[in-house]
Amino acid sequence: MNAIEFILAGMLAAATPFLLAALGEMVVERAGVLNLGVEGLMAFGAVLAFITVYHGGGHLLGFVAAGLGSAVLSLVFAVSALGFRANQVATGLAMGILGQGLSALFGKSYESLTVKGVPKLALPWLSEIPLVGRLFTQDVVVWLSLAATLAIWVMFAYTKVGLVIRAIGENPKAAHAIGHSVIAVRFAAVAFGGTMAGFAGAYAAVVYTPLWADGMIAGRGWIAIALVVFGTWLTGRIFLGACLFGAVSLMGLAAQATGLDVPSQVLASLPYLVTIIVLGVISADRRLLKLNGVASLGEPFER
Amino acid sequence: MLHKLTRRTLMKGVAAAGLTGALGGKAAMATDEPLGITLVIPSPVGDVGWGHALAAGLEPVKAAYGDKVKVTVIENIPEGPDADRIMNKTVSDGNNFLIAGSFGYQNGALQIARRNPAVTVLHASGYQVAPNFSPFAAKYFQGTYLLGMAAAALSKTGKLGSVSAFAIPELITSINAFTLGAQAVNPDVEVSVVWVNSWFDPAKEQEAAKALMAQKCDVIFSNAQDTPSVISACEEAGVYAFNLNSSMKKYAPKTYLGCVATDWSPFFKASVDAHVADTFKGANAFLGVSDTVVEVVDWNPGIPADVMTRIKEIEAKIADGSFSPFTGPITKADGSEGVAAGATLTDGEIVAMDWHVKGVATPLPK
Repeated sequence: MNAIEFILAGMLAAATPFLLAALGEMVVERAGVLNLGVEGLMAFGAVLAFITVYHGGGHLLGFVAAGLGSAVLSLVFAVSALGFRANQVATGLAMGILGQGLSALFGKSYESLTVKGVPKLALPWLSEIPLVGRLFTQDVVVWLSLAATLAIWVMFAYTKVGLVIRAIGENPKAAHAIGHSVIAVRFAAVAFGGTMAGFAGAYAAVVYTPLWADGMIAGRGWIAIALVVFGTWLTGRIFLGACLFGAVSLMGLAAQATGLDVPSQVLASLPYLVTIIVLGVISADRRLLKLNGVASLGEPFER
Repeated sequence: MLHKLTRRTLMKGVAAAGLTGALGGKAAMATDEPLGITLVIPSPVGDVGWGHALAAGLEPVKAAYGDKVKVTVIENIPEGPDADRIMNKTVSDGNNFLIAGSFGYQNGALQIARRNPAVTVLHASGYQVAPNFSPFAAKYFQGTYLLGMAAAALSKTGKLGSVSAFAIPELITSINAFTLGAQAVNPDVEVSVVWVNSWFDPAKEQEAAKALMAQKCDVIFSNAQDTPSVISACEEAGVYAFNLNSSMKKYAPKTYLGCVATDWSPFFKASVDAHVADTFKGANAFLGVSDTVVEVVDWNPGIPADVMTRIKEIEAKIADGSFSPFTGPITKADGSEGVAAGATLTDGEIVAMDWHVKGVATPLPK
């Protein structure tokens, strides 16, 4: 395996935690809600998944526990931010800190334990292509994440549900006037975002790096939020951004391993720079940006 | 009413804290109050790793002193103002023996030592010294040299790797000694280093290990990782691995090469003894094999017997001081002279090392 094969083989898996969390956050923001607690939701999901798998519950149950747990935690945010119309930024941050605290608490006696990962699935035919074939040998969660990406894209592009979510994010008053329940849809969106963040955390703790260590999410939730903004709330761009981020961070490590004479600090900052520049360039059209931006983002809804 | 009450309670609390602070120190020692020992560390304690090694080092102190000491471990304290506040609090609560378990605690811990002459402070990996303030560090390089010998003997590709946290002298010297040890067995060996630029990011550490494996490195040195991230990835891939501080053999039963273990208990015990006898003198404690602080444990049984014999010989020579990994001639990675033939680096030169030896393929970040 050379450096290029290494990047191709690892890119999608490295992108998956970002992708799952960012897609969830995108749906939340499309509905007009800003949830800044993704990092904490991921950490909470991660610890729940790890504990479930560690006690023999299996990976599927681990993901279920993580999804449900993080969804419940995200409802804490939803109740205060949507129900009581509290400031979304402050509430989201607080819920995130709560999630991180809970993950540390629950994970206390599991510190630096490990579990088994999941086997990789090779797609027939495709995985036998030289070089590029590496892309097509991935664990099942990666494949499911790609399917979820497609499903979410279809939802926003072709279905009524997608249109309702967008309408509520654009103009909640108008959506309300034609009979949609703004609060109910926003609750559902927040719970969906929580579930996805939980999955992202679960992927980190029981598939990608199958071990538990307090703080192992290491800022990935924040990168996911940034990806949503730089991806201008569009599924395709967020997918592109996540893959780019994954690929460039692996590239930095591979470059060091091959002995390339570039300071490692520069390589470590490359994923951020490249992702910002690429997504910045493709969304440079300010008119389009305005068109995609969510008009009521972060504003509480009052009838 | 409620407001007033809270405030009054608070005032009382503050007064009480102040009083303890003032009466702390010698006064506490004169009575039968147990000696409060506080260890502050930046990471969770866990089963393995740096924090675990420090906490474990206090166990023999507890065993020796029994009820006469009260040990508190405060974990997960980020370096910075938070750490200063917590260390101040613990000292004002009457704990007179403080172990500041991370480099970044240095300035705050030193201030505490200066303000409270009765308090003894031990500080990890620093360089500042005061009458009641000792920095301590381990000579990991003595152990990594030995593991380098084993690594070169077991490597089929002649390529070794290291996943390292930050390019600071302590980690650089470990890599250099590892390389020199490997070259003692196979002069053509090459070492690649991936700096992850983070003390703690298990996912990135594992990616780095895989990047090294992609470059055909078949022995990997997990340099300053507190979790088994690298070790378990290596077991999965069938690649040899070793780490520092505490053994992670259970995460890699087949491919675990060994552990440069640190046992801080002799140093902690001696320091507490000196504190109790009121004879503590701050000094730079740079401790290694001969101090029984550094020891390589859990050697892989697959290491060829002849190499193991050589390793044991060198280990004995390091212990009695007749051998140092950093005795010249040593060439730097850029080709210039690092250490002249016959010369040996002093401890001071070793703790300030900012260059790689020849054989380290990855350029050092500037």
